[in-house]
Amino acid sequence: MLATHLRRHVPFWISILAGIAIWEIAGRSTSTAFMVPFSETIVQLWQLMQTGEFIAQVLDSAQLFLTGFVLALIVGAPLGLLLARVRVLRVGVEPYIMILYATPMVALIPFILSMMGFGFAPKVLVVFLFAVFPVLYNTVEGARSIKPELIEVAKSYRSSEWSLWREVMLPYTLPYIMTGVRQSIGRALVGMIAAEFFLSSTGLGQLIMGASQNFDTAGVFASIFLIGLIGVGLMRLGLAIEQRFAHWRQ
Amino acid sequence: MTSLQTAASANPGAAAKISGSEPRIRVKGLGKHYGSLEVFRNIDFDVGEREIVAIVGPSGCGKTTLLRCIDGLIAFDSGEVLVGTERVTEPIAGVAMVFQHFGLFPWKTVYENVAYGLRMAGAPKAEIDRRVPEFIKLVGLAGFEHAYPYQMSGGMQQRCGLARALAVGPNVLLMDEPFAAVDAQTREILQFELLRIWEERPTAMIFVTHSIEEAVLLGHRVIVLKGRPSGIHEIVDIDLPHPRTRDTLREPRFAELRERVWSTLMREAREAEFVLER
Repeated sequence: MLATHLRRHVPFWISILAGIAIWEIAGRSTSTAFMVPFSETIVQLWQLMQTGEFIAQVLDSAQLFLTGFVLALIVGAPLGLLLARVRVLRVGVEPYIMILYATPMVALIPFILSMMGFGFAPKVLVVFLFAVFPVLYNTVEGARSIKPELIEVAKSYRSSEWSLWREVMLPYTLPYIMTGVRQSIGRALVGMIAAEFFLSSTGLGQLIMGASQNFDTAGVFASIFLIGLIGVGLMRLGLAIEQRFAHWRQ
Repeated sequence: MTSLQTAASANPGAAAKISGSEPRIRVKGLGKHYGSLEVFRNIDFDVGEREIVAIVGPSGCGKTTLLRCIDGLIAFDSGEVLVGTERVTEPIAGVAMVFQHFGLFPWKTVYENVAYGLRMAGAPKAEIDRRVPEFIKLVGLAGFEHAYPYQMSGGMQQRCGLARALAVGPNVLLMDEPFAAVDAQTREILQFELLRIWEERPTAMIFVTHSIEEAVLLGHRVIVLKGRPSGIHEIVDIDLPHPRTRDTLREPRFAELRERVWSTLMREAREAEFVLER
């Protein structure tokens, strides 16, 4: 038991420690204008976290992230189910989804800026646009892969259309939706930072920009490191949720 | 083969009489096309209230399509299907189907799968709580209420499929090659389980199979379909006594009837095999 546990986790921790060591050495042997070592990043992060302003900015970013992400989920999953079930709609809408999915969303930011200005809403729109397509795409693909046999069973048992959605389509598609959610988390983080960089400067994006303009390399690193940590944490959470809903797929 | 044919008593093509009760299912002049492909035509037969009618035929003859038309899952082009006095145009209450592919919902437990039909029928919760355990027990799945389909063997999955169908209290059971996807031993066990359950709760049943032995063992009558476009080739009365058990398999009459159905079917199959596809 312990042996398997060690075998599984020792390479992981060795790799992490090696990464930190390389970072530390590289940081110490270059100018602090480019890079700061790991230890300094952690110290800086710790000190920043003592300040109310930093926490306020993190919460600001979290608010933007959550609003855009939840909207993406609320729109993406039901729309995906609808597109999978209604063929006419899918054929009509699919080209636009594909074009938008393939478009680098950053390229749309100037357009969004000129349309909507600098408020909270345009930033939410950016996060939403980054996050919605993985959910939508995975939902459509998932719902379309449902075995026709199961639909037939539902029909044979005189299921109403509403019951068919609730009892068959949605439970079957849920693991696929969760795969989309997990992918969306990463993209929503990118969207969040992009919105904070290019629209009104707030949150973690502003912290990074501000620190960078003041040549506060440690501040830049601390902020980026924190975003990375949050991202990894959220993705692990997404994976756990995905597996929770996918256990029946073995 | 000739001697076997003269030995058999059923008279080819004649619809056998249903003794004692009104037919539960009437199939009249049923025909179905897929585009220019005619699947079957002029299918006529009745099924009594407490009768098992088995349907055999060469593969691809449209047995399964016929059953789906009777269930109202797919539309037919001509003729009509009556269940009791109701004309079938879509799935109707009182008819339940058991599928070759089991058709269990993989995210539902045995309990939830068996409850599904009742819930779709709008049964009150108290009734579901009472009936579901009863039917899980009837099919021998007691103790597996919380198992998921992927944790069970094919035989157990089909027991669950059977419980789901029986739980809605149907007076018509449609069996679509229900035991074709399980191994030979399990299949035999399930055949006798089905006979036991049917003796306890007799219903009208149409049992589609490609196993002649299974058809003869289960059916009061066996309908032999012919190739494309298919129609009824012959209806064979199976005058074996009920209840049928493993001993039935050893009776000379069983072998005789099996040979009779076999020779009819083989004549068809051989003709079908050497027909060039146009």
